[in-house]
Amino acid sequence: MTRKLIKRVTLALGMGVASLTLSACDGVTVGVGYGYDPFYDSMLWNDYYHDVDVDIDIDRPDRPGRPGTRPPARPVPPIAKPPNRPPVSRPPNRPRPPAARPPAARPPIHRPAGRR
Amino acid sequence: MRIQFASTLAVCAALWLSGGTASADTPVTYTDNGRALFSFSVPDYWALRTGGPREIEDTELGDTRAVARVMGLRPVTDDNVWIGFVSPSGVASIDGGLRYLEDIDKFLVKDPTVSETTSTRIGGLPARIIRGTGNRDGRGVNFTATVIDLPQDRVAVVVAILRNGADPAYVDDLNAVFASFKSEQ
Repeated sequence: MTRKLIKRVTLALGMGVASLTLSACDGVTVGVGYGYDPFYDSMLWNDYYHDVDVDIDIDRPDRPGRPGTRPPARPVPPIAKPPNRPPVSRPPNRPRPPAARPPAARPPIHRPAGRR
Repeated sequence: MRIQFASTLAVCAALWLSGGTASADTPVTYTDNGRALFSFSVPDYWALRTGGPREIEDTELGDTRAVARVMGLRPVTDDNVWIGFVSPSGVASIDGGLRYLEDIDKFLVKDPTVSETTSTRIGGLPARIIRGTGNRDGRGVNFTATVIDLPQDRVAVVVAILRNGADPAYVDDLNAVFASFKSEQ
């Protein structure tokens, strides 16, 4: 009786293992994709038709030449620049106030009532 | 009578065998606006990407460029070998085809060095072949660029690429593709 049971259990386990092994072989097969196809993409791109209309403004008239005379010299300002003064000594640094606390972003909605 | 039967059998076998090898390749016709331009055969276990006419926009300049159909072929299990066909519109002569090649080669291969330029006939049509080397993505490549003069002011531009480390047996397949090339006009 026990021998029969052992046989059956062995058979069942064996079949289970075999079916798992076989199904593992039957994986999802995916065909070779075209994920990496650099040469195809490169052959699409060309500069052949690109350089045709580069000189769009070829019929524009030439720009007029610059006037030959130089611009007049700048007038000298009537008020002369003040002479360089000696640097004024800086005032001493003011004492800084203690850093203020940042305000609370949002006060709690329900403030618990303080104990009295 | 018996000898006759044996010879008939041999002829049949030869026909069947030759028919078998000839029909192993898959004929493909390149068309432009419904007009068949040329055809070639796809070797067994090679993948064909047909493509089609389209416009691509330059992201920097914002201009659109028309692109003719590009057909790409490669072995199913090896991406070290590639051959592509294009018949650009408005390119009528071999010289025009060479100028077209000059405008695409910098995208295909970096630092190209031409080793040989020959004139020949492919499928009974005049053709110019440019062989050379370069590199792409840090790997050396061998390229064979071909311009074939088709009738009625069209050319076929064919670029075959073998990356370093490719199985040299694929050269036979590439040559078979060239051997099967013929005009459809």
